[in-house]
Amino acid sequence: MLPYVSFCAVGHSYTTDKGQLIPALRDVSFSINKHEFVAVVGPSGCGKSTLLRLLSGLMQPTKGQVRVFDHPVTQPRDDVGIVFQKPTLLPWLKVTDNVLFPLKHKFGRITLADRVRAADLIEMIGLTKFAKHRPDQLSGGMQQRVGIARALLLDPDILIMDEPFSALDALTREMMGFELLKIWNDAPKTVLFITHSISEAVLLADKVLVMSEGPSTLAESLDIDLPRPRSPQTMQLAAFSEYTNRIRKHIYRQSEAESDAPLQAMLA
Amino acid sequence: MNAYLKMKYGVQPLLPALCLLTLLPVWEVICRVFEVPNFVLPAPSEIAQAFYDVELMRWVEHAWATLRVALIGFALSIVISLPLAIIMVRSEFLRKTLYPLLVVVQSTPVVAIAPLLIVILGSGEAPRLVITCLITFFPLVVAATTGMLATPPELIELSKSLRAPAVKEIWQIRLPYAIPHIFSGLKVAVTLAIIGAVIAEFVAAEKGLGYLVQFSTSYFKIPQAFAALIVLSLMSLLLFKAVHWIQRFYFAWSLPKQDK
Amino acid sequence: MKLIKQWQSRICRGLMLAALASISPLSLAADKVTFQLDWLPGGDKAPLYVGIEQGFFAAENLDVKISHGRGSTDAISKIATGTADVGLSDLVALLLAKANNDVPVSAIYSVFSEAPHAFFVLSDSGIQQVKDVAGKKIATSPFTSSNVFLPLLLSVNQVPENKVRVIKTDPGALNPMLLTGNADVVISWITDTEKYRYQAKSAGKELTVLPWYDAGLAFYSTALIANDRFLAKRPEVAKRFVRAYAKAIAYTWAHPQQSGEMVHKIVPEVDASAAADTITSIKGLVYNDASSAHGLGQFDPERLATTWQWTAKAQSLDPASFDPERAINRQFLQGE
Repeated sequence: MLPYVSFCAVGHSYTTDKGQLIPALRDVSFSINKHEFVAVVGPSGCGKSTLLRLLSGLMQPTKGQVRVFDHPVTQPRDDVGIVFQKPTLLPWLKVTDNVLFPLKHKFGRITLADRVRAADLIEMIGLTKFAKHRPDQLSGGMQQRVGIARALLLDPDILIMDEPFSALDALTREMMGFELLKIWNDAPKTVLFITHSISEAVLLADKVLVMSEGPSTLAESLDIDLPRPRSPQTMQLAAFSEYTNRIRKHIYRQSEAESDAPLQAMLA
Repeated sequence: MNAYLKMKYGVQPLLPALCLLTLLPVWEVICRVFEVPNFVLPAPSEIAQAFYDVELMRWVEHAWATLRVALIGFALSIVISLPLAIIMVRSEFLRKTLYPLLVVVQSTPVVAIAPLLIVILGSGEAPRLVITCLITFFPLVVAATTGMLATPPELIELSKSLRAPAVKEIWQIRLPYAIPHIFSGLKVAVTLAIIGAVIAEFVAAEKGLGYLVQFSTSYFKIPQAFAALIVLSLMSLLLFKAVHWIQRFYFAWSLPKQDK
Repeated sequence: MKLIKQWQSRICRGLMLAALASISPLSLAADKVTFQLDWLPGGDKAPLYVGIEQGFFAAENLDVKISHGRGSTDAISKIATGTADVGLSDLVALLLAKANNDVPVSAIYSVFSEAPHAFFVLSDSGIQQVKDVAGKKIATSPFTSSNVFLPLLLSVNQVPENKVRVIKTDPGALNPMLLTGNADVVISWITDTEKYRYQAKSAGKELTVLPWYDAGLAFYSTALIANDRFLAKRPEVAKRFVRAYAKAIAYTWAHPQQSGEMVHKIVPEVDASAAADTITSIKGLVYNDASSAHGLGQFDPERLATTWQWTAKAQSLDPASFDPERAINRQFLQGE
């Protein structure tokens, strides 16, 4: 089967104001199948966000090629939805209008059908009662749910999530993970999920990509063969700890080879 | 009604007034006991008398002249500074070229070039508006630019990923995001507008509160000058409040929580 | 109130025109003239307001608009750029402007044929003549033309310049400084005498004024000046204006009380009786030996030359570098 998304020997460097080239990604190759849930883990500054921007078409790689359904990505794609680390809602819009914002922003017109779709999405994320509230009246978790609904509005094939739950407390974070899985189950998407947390990656994903530090390359690609639907019980499975230990060891090794500081950050 | 609400709706706005009311008798007594000459510091009663001595219609006429220049100049400066800010946000090159120039314009003392402006633009209303504009546009440009640049980069990426036209990025994301900044700028600028109008009147005018202050001091009518100054500061206060009310009415979301 | 005033003057002008129409065929639309004051309104500018209120301008079919000024140089530059047609300025300032920049402005009528500069002192200070200021602290405003002549005045009166301390401050602060004892002497103009006296009285003090013209300085000061293009293009209008202004001057000093009221009528901020007192106190600037010898409004070549020589000397310019006659245009004086 043809891979849905593929990165072929992708490298990327930034040019600083002073004209220096800063490498951010080196020689990254992997592929994602349709409706696969892929998590990316790695220490800070390992080029995870660059990965996101390359896939969404916001940036072009300086080397190699990013392909979606065998077509090279040359500009921002309509079928990509992005969920950011912070909810970044528009503070002046109510929840409904925030969810509808991509449509309004892109086409300027909103039909009744769009409103119905937004209402459905809001119901799905369980915020129907808050549809007329402004973002600052919502908790962090609620705001991020609105962010997810916003990303889903245009019914994208690909959902990119950049550490979406990292600003939430541990409990909310776990609950949000399962909710995400439920949404993904009801309306399957190809998901690229970037995270700091090894256990979160293993818990959610079909495949975990482990990134190494700058200049970042792909250190390992690990298929997670755990039964679905996943639940809190999944974490008690022996296989679960095996996967997490394996990834952790991998990052340990990496860190020993380089320095200890990022390790501390990783374990924190 | 709890104590907080009392503070919020009842007592708080009265506090400055109460403070002034207790200060007035002290001021009066000091002036009388120490026989402070009125050209050094007129007593409140003398100022009140001076205020009363000028016909109400004259006050209205002078206040309106100043207010008119301040408001038109202020409006002009909004019309100029917002597009300028947008241009500077859109283009890094222009930002780097224009910003230093704007700083130079801003740091030129308007008082010094005011007489030149009058000679160039004639003695009508035009130079007064230009002076007011010159003095108010900088805080507005800075506030709007800063606000628009402070827009979370994620939202800009969202806009880019949707391939929305640049106009929409400005209009639907950057400008609304800059609203809190823009209103801070407007609050500073609106009080500066009064100052601008007064500076202009010092240089050339036949009417206005600034003119009245200058006229009064040149005739050694210090209490009258003080009365005009008080009217001026009341006017600034009112304009400042008006901007705040507009923000609260139309952009309530942009106010910090305790201010709503 | 303003409307009523406008109507009054309109009706007045209308009647005037109607009366004149029966005598001479006049064009109905009045000629517009913009008049530039060299400072704020006051009793010393009374003839202008008298001219309007008494209908002297209307009788000459002139519609005069008044623009306030902020000093002689301000008035000269506004007239030079054509913002105003006619105005008032210190002749000395005009001579200097002509000598330095050859501005297209000419003096057409002498209003004050004596200089208004004066020392103001407290009556109990023991300073009785200009000579007595030696060793005293003198306060003056930074931009007054009086400063130019102070060294000259001191040297004419044999006061060494290093014997006085000159401090410069805002004009509004001068009198308070004198009254509070922060200065022994202040330099101001005789035209301000009443304002100073009024304030001094409220502080329980008495002022003495020592005019510089009594101490050896004899020259022209305030004059009617006009834009050269205006004079070339509308000479008839200029001539009529001067004629009306001369009538207004005669009326003003014949009826100080009414004149003061007329100033107050147009500029309510000006106190009528204070304006009247000012008119009385400055009579000597208009009616003096010079004007009685050469005629009101006239520029006597000899006195003019002296004025320039003093000015040049005070400014350390070569007196021969400029001919003061170039600043004067005598075509518009009556009786010539």
